[in-house]
Amino acid sequence: MVIGRRALLGGIAATAATIRTARATMLPAAGPRIASLDYALTETLLALGHPPIAQTAASDWDEWVVEPALPVGVADLGSSLQVNFERLVLLEPDLILTTDYVARQEMALARIAPVERLTIYQEGTDPLQRARDVTRTLAERTGRQDAADAFLEEIDATFSACARRLAALSLPPVYLVAFMDTRHARIFGRHGLYQSVLDRLGVTNAYEGETNYWGFATVGVETLATARDVRLFAFEPLPPTLMQTLGASPLWRQLPFVKAGQVTVLPPTLMFGALPSAMRFAELLTDALAGPAARSADGAPA
Amino acid sequence: MILSQSRTGPARFSAALALVAAVLTVAVVAGPIAQLWAGAPTGGYDPARILFLHAELPRLAMAVLCGAALSASGAILQQVLRNPLAAPTTLGIDAGARLALALATLFAPALFGFGRDLVAIAGSAASTLIVFMLVRRNFSAVSLILAGLVVSLYCGALSAILIMIKDRYLVSLFIWGAGSLAQQSWQPTIDLAMRLAVLVVPAWLLVRPLSLLELGDASVASLGLNVTRIRIGAIGLAVLLAGFVTSAVGVIGFIGLVAPILARLAGARQFCERLVWSSIIGALLLLATDCAVTLLSGVSAEFLPTGAVTAIFGSPLLLFLLPRLRASVRPPFEASVPQAVARFSPALRLALCVSLALSLVAVLFLGRDASGAWQILPPDAWAEILPWRAPRLIAAAAAGAMVAVAGFILQRLTGNEMASPEVLGVSAGAAFAFALSLFIFDDLGLLGESLVTSLGGLAVLVAIIFYARRTGFSPETILLAGIALNALLDAFVGVLAAGGDPRAFILVDWMGGSTQGLTMADAIPVAIAALVLVAASLPVLRWLAILPLGDRQAAALGVPLAYARPCLLVLAALLTAAATPIIGPLTFVGLMAPHVVRMLGIRRPLPTLLVAALAGAAIMAVADFLARTIAFPYQLPTGLVAALVGAPVLLILLGRRGSTS
Repeated sequence: MVIGRRALLGGIAATAATIRTARATMLPAAGPRIASLDYALTETLLALGHPPIAQTAASDWDEWVVEPALPVGVADLGSSLQVNFERLVLLEPDLILTTDYVARQEMALARIAPVERLTIYQEGTDPLQRARDVTRTLAERTGRQDAADAFLEEIDATFSACARRLAALSLPPVYLVAFMDTRHARIFGRHGLYQSVLDRLGVTNAYEGETNYWGFATVGVETLATARDVRLFAFEPLPPTLMQTLGASPLWRQLPFVKAGQVTVLPPTLMFGALPSAMRFAELLTDALAGPAARSADGAPA
Repeated sequence: MILSQSRTGPARFSAALALVAAVLTVAVVAGPIAQLWAGAPTGGYDPARILFLHAELPRLAMAVLCGAALSASGAILQQVLRNPLAAPTTLGIDAGARLALALATLFAPALFGFGRDLVAIAGSAASTLIVFMLVRRNFSAVSLILAGLVVSLYCGALSAILIMIKDRYLVSLFIWGAGSLAQQSWQPTIDLAMRLAVLVVPAWLLVRPLSLLELGDASVASLGLNVTRIRIGAIGLAVLLAGFVTSAVGVIGFIGLVAPILARLAGARQFCERLVWSSIIGALLLLATDCAVTLLSGVSAEFLPTGAVTAIFGSPLLLFLLPRLRASVRPPFEASVPQAVARFSPALRLALCVSLALSLVAVLFLGRDASGAWQILPPDAWAEILPWRAPRLIAAAAAGAMVAVAGFILQRLTGNEMASPEVLGVSAGAAFAFALSLFIFDDLGLLGESLVTSLGGLAVLVAIIFYARRTGFSPETILLAGIALNALLDAFVGVLAAGGDPRAFILVDWMGGSTQGLTMADAIPVAIAALVLVAASLPVLRWLAILPLGDRQAAALGVPLAYARPCLLVLAALLTAAATPIIGPLTFVGLMAPHVVRMLGIRRPLPTLLVAALAGAAIMAVADFLARTIAFPYQLPTGLVAALVGAPVLLILLGRRGSTS
């Protein structure tokens, strides 16, 4: 009873995602025991209803991914660049998932179980498309093709629904940033997951500069001043003292989007995520731009 | 005549520099000014105007302030220490502030304003104090800079460990460590200006006493001035100048070294002139650099922090300045490897050695089980766990033995007890090679990596030999070349990491020295390399015993110096190159192990070498054990843990030296 209420009061994210999570909080009774070295692969597994048995940096999950929630029984393997092999070998996984980023450990991992590398963020690929491919692959490995079909449909439906809700509005372009400190931010643009989602939703990104192939550029905060009619979305976690420092800056106070109150802080969303993060971002952004959806059970956005 | 020459020299030089800075500044501000001139566009909001007034102008002012303050700090340090290489960067002042602020970011994130300044200055003061404790009375140019470098590397290693554990949180530390001048308000500039303005008074008061130092301590004392108090005051002032800058914008490397040297080269003779012209030149230099960075970042997507750029251009200057250092006035280079003191009875000594050896085996069976509880490995788990634990232990211990012997050789060769493989530059070369391979190849595998990194180390070795041959393999040349290379590596990693490129994390991770996931097939070649190379050191033991006596005695005793030095250098480099792929470039074991031996009171060359190897192996074995258990389930990088654990031990060992020598 209490838990149900809490889920409802959980804010703008307490929508379909919660239901999916509730479905996925049990460790799999059947199918391969998977150890994952990447948050994006794990959130895909969670969406398929087949959680991993072990995950690197599991303790930081709630800081960076939040939704879908990581089930309680998932073992923490430590840093993804320094997997705790001794712990992993005792967990007897059937399959270990890696990406290019952690590939240096594959030789060692292969001594424990078969290794499969599924990289979403690569040079010259669309992360959203790669995330779809990866979802299909993982569905095959876990024998959950049905769940994958349903999930991909849900994704498309969510994108379409969000796009419809936004189509009626005349929307300004948006800046998507993660503040690094009080003077610098990562700004998200081409090649990134967020950009792919913006394209699906029909929202324009105000940042058209170069980015690396993870889809961001590190810039001084003053770079944001060049645009006129934009809305700014900043992802949590924010650096401490950020708002005090920015609030004291005449440059920041005179920015059109600051003057117009067009600054929105979004809850954390995994920037190197897969489809669940894409969907979470789409819903958070749409709710912020168009107001909370009518389907929202609690009706009160945070 | 001389006077007028010395006045116009720096003036002319500054004018030329001012011209360059002016051209670059105009290139940066011409656009916005033209737009301002054309009048505000309709619609009220004028981004060009806002940017110009609140971002570009304060940034230019900030560059001028920081350049002047750091250069004044460098000029004061060079004067008070009579050391042409002294600067906030080379003495570890920057690094101390950087580490202190990293710790503050982690444990007291809400600090800002004066709180931040206090943290930065406390860190700078602490690292400076440690550097002076390390050198004690041996204030020779090289010793001091060497101690500064070791402290800098150590602070850098600690910051790296923090970033590795809390990776994503602390990306801002990378930006900050690389010194970005980006501004969004006049407030930080005004704050810094006020702090610096307060310091002008003590600086002005110190000019005369500091100038008098050139006459010698005795003549200053005869004028009724307290030399020690002047020194402490001046160093304190230099720390404050650098600390305020670091707190405001981060680490701006090497400006404080380069500007005073340029002022001196341009002909500023008296200290007062040097101080003033250094500040002017430093301000112009940083202004020009920052404008160039601004113009460059307009064309590329990469985030270029100004501080790292100054370090990339400034650090090779150390190499260029070496020949000039010879001619300059400096205290003689003293052979300062203290003799061993027999403090322990032979029985106790033997017991200590045996316990070192036993610790190698003991840590194999100590660890944590799957749930994280401490355990002594039960025999039924051996088959499962030992294939993971044994190879990393063997490889770490073998690598530890190799760097220990390398450190022993280098300390004997250079006659400097702060010499170690880290400062030889060979491991920095290995790290460069690894960084390049990260960007060129997708995935090399462990063997490929070892090959590439060894090649990198050897390439540096060849370069050092060619470079050092010109100076007859003078030990200080070799050390300074290594320092320059390490500083360059640090700047390079800074640029990479500040932009947020995830490959920078892989690089930092590798530099931490991970022994994870090694197999027996990886470990046994390392162990064989250790045995072969340590055995190869046996025939040169006699040289090592004689060299610290000085060149003349060594030659008289029949050591072929022209041949012995390159031989020993190659041996040390091979030992380092073989160990670096396993434990990374930053362990300090090579620095520590010989001191452990000395403390045990061992004198004869053969036992010294063997016990140094044993101590190195034991330190790395214990570090490997700690790396795998203390932050469970997180696995720390073994090399960094060795540095973390070993450095305080080293400080204690060096501290006791004073009472025994």
